[in-house]
Amino acid sequence: MIDKKLMLLPGIKKILLILTGLALMQAVAIVGQACFLSTAIVNLWSGNGLVSQFKWILLFFLCYAIRHLVNFYREELLDKYAAEQAGNIRGKLLKKIFYLGPIVIQSNGTGNTTTMALEGIDQVEDYLHLIFAKVTTLMIVPWVVLVAIFYFDWESAAFLLGIFPVIIIFMIVLGYAAQSRADRQYASYQMLSNHFVDSLRGIDTLKYFGLSKRYANSIFKTSEKFRKATLNTLKIAILSTFALDFFTTLSIAVVAVFLGLRLIDGHMVLYPALTILILSPEYFLPIRDFSSDYHATLNGKNALGAINKILDVLEPTILPLSIDKWNNSSRLKFSNLNFSYAENKPALKKINLAVSGYKKVGIIGLSGSGKSTLINILSGFLDPNEAVIRFNDEETTSFAQKDWQKQLIYIPQNPYIFKGTLRDNVVFYQPEATMEQVKQAVEVVGLNELVSELPMGLDTQIGEGARALSGGQAQRIALARAFLDKQRKVLLFDEPTAHLDIETEVELKERMLPLMENHLVFFATHRLHWMKEMDLILVMDKGEVVESGTLDELRQSDGAFAELTRSLRRR
Amino acid sequence: MKIFKLFKKDTWIRPFLGKYRKSLFFALTLGFMTFFCGGALMFNSGFLISKSAAHPENILLVYVPIVLTRAFGIGRPVFRYLERLTSHNWVLKLTSELRLKLYRVLEKDAVFFKNKYQTGDILGLLSEDIDHIQNLYLRTVFPTVIAWILTVFIVIALGIFSLWFALVMLLLLCVQVILFPLMAILVNGARQEKQKMLKNELYTELTDNILGVSDWIFSQRGKEYLEFHKEIEDKLHHVTRAIKKSNHYRNTGVQLMFGVIAIALLLWSGMQFPGNHGGAANWIAAFVLVIFPLIDAFAPLNDAAQETNIYQDSLKRLNGLSNESSDERKPSESIKQLNAPFVLTVNNLSYHYPDDNKQVLNDLTLSVGSGQKLAILGRSGSGKTTLAKLLRGDLEPSVGSLKLNGIDVSDLGESVSDYIGVIHQAPYLFNTTISNNLRIGNEDATTASLWQVLERVGLKNLVTSLPEGLETVVDEAGLRFSGGERHRLALARILLKNTPIVILDEPTVSLDPLTEQDLIETFMKQLEGKTIIWITHHLQGLSMMDKVIFIEDGKLKIEGSPDELASSNEHYKKLLAIDHGDYVVE
Repeated sequence: MIDKKLMLLPGIKKILLILTGLALMQAVAIVGQACFLSTAIVNLWSGNGLVSQFKWILLFFLCYAIRHLVNFYREELLDKYAAEQAGNIRGKLLKKIFYLGPIVIQSNGTGNTTTMALEGIDQVEDYLHLIFAKVTTLMIVPWVVLVAIFYFDWESAAFLLGIFPVIIIFMIVLGYAAQSRADRQYASYQMLSNHFVDSLRGIDTLKYFGLSKRYANSIFKTSEKFRKATLNTLKIAILSTFALDFFTTLSIAVVAVFLGLRLIDGHMVLYPALTILILSPEYFLPIRDFSSDYHATLNGKNALGAINKILDVLEPTILPLSIDKWNNSSRLKFSNLNFSYAENKPALKKINLAVSGYKKVGIIGLSGSGKSTLINILSGFLDPNEAVIRFNDEETTSFAQKDWQKQLIYIPQNPYIFKGTLRDNVVFYQPEATMEQVKQAVEVVGLNELVSELPMGLDTQIGEGARALSGGQAQRIALARAFLDKQRKVLLFDEPTAHLDIETEVELKERMLPLMENHLVFFATHRLHWMKEMDLILVMDKGEVVESGTLDELRQSDGAFAELTRSLRRR
Repeated sequence: MKIFKLFKKDTWIRPFLGKYRKSLFFALTLGFMTFFCGGALMFNSGFLISKSAAHPENILLVYVPIVLTRAFGIGRPVFRYLERLTSHNWVLKLTSELRLKLYRVLEKDAVFFKNKYQTGDILGLLSEDIDHIQNLYLRTVFPTVIAWILTVFIVIALGIFSLWFALVMLLLLCVQVILFPLMAILVNGARQEKQKMLKNELYTELTDNILGVSDWIFSQRGKEYLEFHKEIEDKLHHVTRAIKKSNHYRNTGVQLMFGVIAIALLLWSGMQFPGNHGGAANWIAAFVLVIFPLIDAFAPLNDAAQETNIYQDSLKRLNGLSNESSDERKPSESIKQLNAPFVLTVNNLSYHYPDDNKQVLNDLTLSVGSGQKLAILGRSGSGKTTLAKLLRGDLEPSVGSLKLNGIDVSDLGESVSDYIGVIHQAPYLFNTTISNNLRIGNEDATTASLWQVLERVGLKNLVTSLPEGLETVVDEAGLRFSGGERHRLALARILLKNTPIVILDEPTVSLDPLTEQDLIETFMKQLEGKTIIWITHHLQGLSMMDKVIFIEDGKLKIEGSPDELASSNEHYKKLLAIDHGDYVVE
């Protein structure tokens, strides 16, 4: 009942031992509570005075209190343990995310990753808490109670023991029936339940078509359909709870009636009968508790599975190289670089390149030609399936090298602006930059106008939830980051201007070009005018470099580049 | 007690309570019956055993308790089952009403809603708020009301035997149904507030930094962030621990209180029903045992009460909505049918947003004739999109006028959608079949005409190849289709609607140049003969237009046919050169 993986948690053996001890203690208290209460009642029934019962009443309350204090202690203990374990898992997960980076995030989605790290782990915490408490209780309490009942009357005990598997079987059978019914309805159910938020998201479209007023009816009708579908599913889904309820209460009723009949016959006396009656609900309580939290534990179990999947992703084992700072005589060469996202669908095929010193390499091609993939490989976020990479004279198979990555500046189409002040954003790569340097950077990339417009200048909050910036402004901030960091000599651009209006693009270009001097630049784009500035051009198509050379060479050869030019200028 | 204040001014829940009174009453009754049967089972069993132990001469004397025991034993699960169904049914009925209400409120400013709330998925949030109200009912309101009914019932029932003990019991039960829940709300209210704040902080913080993860990796400052994250996480953990600990104390208190109640019942019934091996003393076991099954009804109340703190935000958000939504557009009945040719005239138009003095558009004058193809160019933020909204009458000009065939566009009301169609950057596809998505353009379109427009927009082959053709369900937000395909479907909808004027609001910015070019060609070909107003910041495809205007800082700057501009306007020439790759930055 407890996942095998859970048994690997640190300190779990000790916790389980303590929990077992607590459950035993609690079981004894439950039996004691029943015995003392029924002693007091039987004595009163027999006509003994109330005052002489105080001893028993006190003992009853003592057992009752022990039972609940054990609960209190167990909850506290598990709270601490589960929180500690959840904290550990979260730490590992975040470390993994911030180590592996975009690969994990892309394959799971940003939203999912965040949800997993926060809500997912909360669910795991609940899961750990619930599963250990409920399972240890279920393993011990009913059976101690049953032994006590057996001591008083073996026939009642036999009946209660016999009914237990019947309950379990009914719950499982009905659970499966409900599941298969729910599965069959899942698609339409899902659609109905998403219909509302779907309609809200498309509400402007409805308005544009003049349908929005009339559509209100459809909202109500669909919601009513959803209500009916939900109830139909619910009718079956709660049957298993019904079965549990039905058998437990009916069992108690049956036990009571049989005890009654045997009391009339004189086969029994009141004290054991009353104790058994008080104990029988306690016998069923743990299984009821277990089943009512079953679904909550399922969520946690699934979340834990998903998290473990990420934690199990192997970090590439690449021998770290020591790579010197890129300078005018550094050399980079790679050959036979192959990469595919999925089996048998190569995204990059046999890419070869050799550059040295401060060169500007243009990578041109249409969407899907593989230029962004190549940039991602150069940045070390993707590992080539196969490649021989040489930094100067040292050979490796991946760009995921700390010494390489710390020389990079990566400027994507939408540079990310963190929530924080404009200054914080600019100095992201150089937190120690002086005010003087920041001002210079702002000047160089043309952010002065923005700074003067902002109410608090450089200290204005920007980013998500605060003031939004335009695409051009975000690019300028990325450029300012690059300008501030004089140490990093390799610039990777991934379509930095594709989404900007043409005038903004020109202004940015004027600011970008000086920054590219004395750097190794890789510039992926489909905008032709950049090619004039490049020392070397790679023309990409369907994952291959179909042509390469200087602009003049490419123009003369009348090959792939010329063709691309023609198709882009068609109008 | 914010929740009570909120409830007092609430316009979202209270009006609906009266509406389905019958089934509400039914659900509550069933809930009461569930616990009644549970208690009665033990009461009756206690009596049955005691009475049997007194060896009645005739088995018939315990016949009634025997039958009742079985009846209550079966009654409890049956009532519980029915109670769950009826309460869900009631809550879901309420949900339908709430959804309708939310939709109507949002519909009023549909076009601006997304701009108003720039961050986050506010629509998803609102729809979740309604789910929260469902939970508020199922998990807090119903159990609480049922517990109150039970309290009243128990006190009255005991009052028949002894008035003073009924009052004692009332006092004891009030501790359970009022004092503890109240304590739960008060003690943890502030902590929950803080917990929620920290959770939100963590959530935005983490999302933000996961989006910027590559910068953390390159800057090799990832560790710094992880430490920072851990700091907030620890703060949150601290608060959560405090809440949980106080919950554990309270819950233990609640349980111990039940021990006291059980003892009180024992003492009272010991005095009330004196006997010797039977007689009145048979009732002692009954009155003592009855309390144990009822613990289930009372114990969860304080946690449930505490949950209301969580629902406050939902109530606040929903109630905030209905107040701030703007007035509806003027009714359109008085407007008669407009006839071709359709001429749009813009006269000295100026616009600034009500809460901002900055002129978005400044003294614009323009005329768009029937069948004319007009391109509006400008940088982002130059006011082009605002102009599009004004053209459709979704915004009213601050100064000047905007008329379609001499009638103010804003007076056309809803009927404007018969004359002006819009395709914007991210056309929305609903999560339903392709045919339903297309029929938004024209509900009465025949299947043949659907195929015909699909052919015109170049999607016939694609749709034919789909497993269920026209009846294929588009995934959520249309992700099954690529950007270009989505625009083509949006065009197909417009073609079915057949409006004489079409506004293209930067429909192609996120596409790659070849797809863009193909799409523009399709647009121009299929919309031939209609008035086209195309808002863009690219030069791609401009040569197909009759007239180009530039808007800069809200003012009309350049105006002319593409050919004229290409030969005579220096600025335009420069842009063309850049676009062609011939331009060199000096």
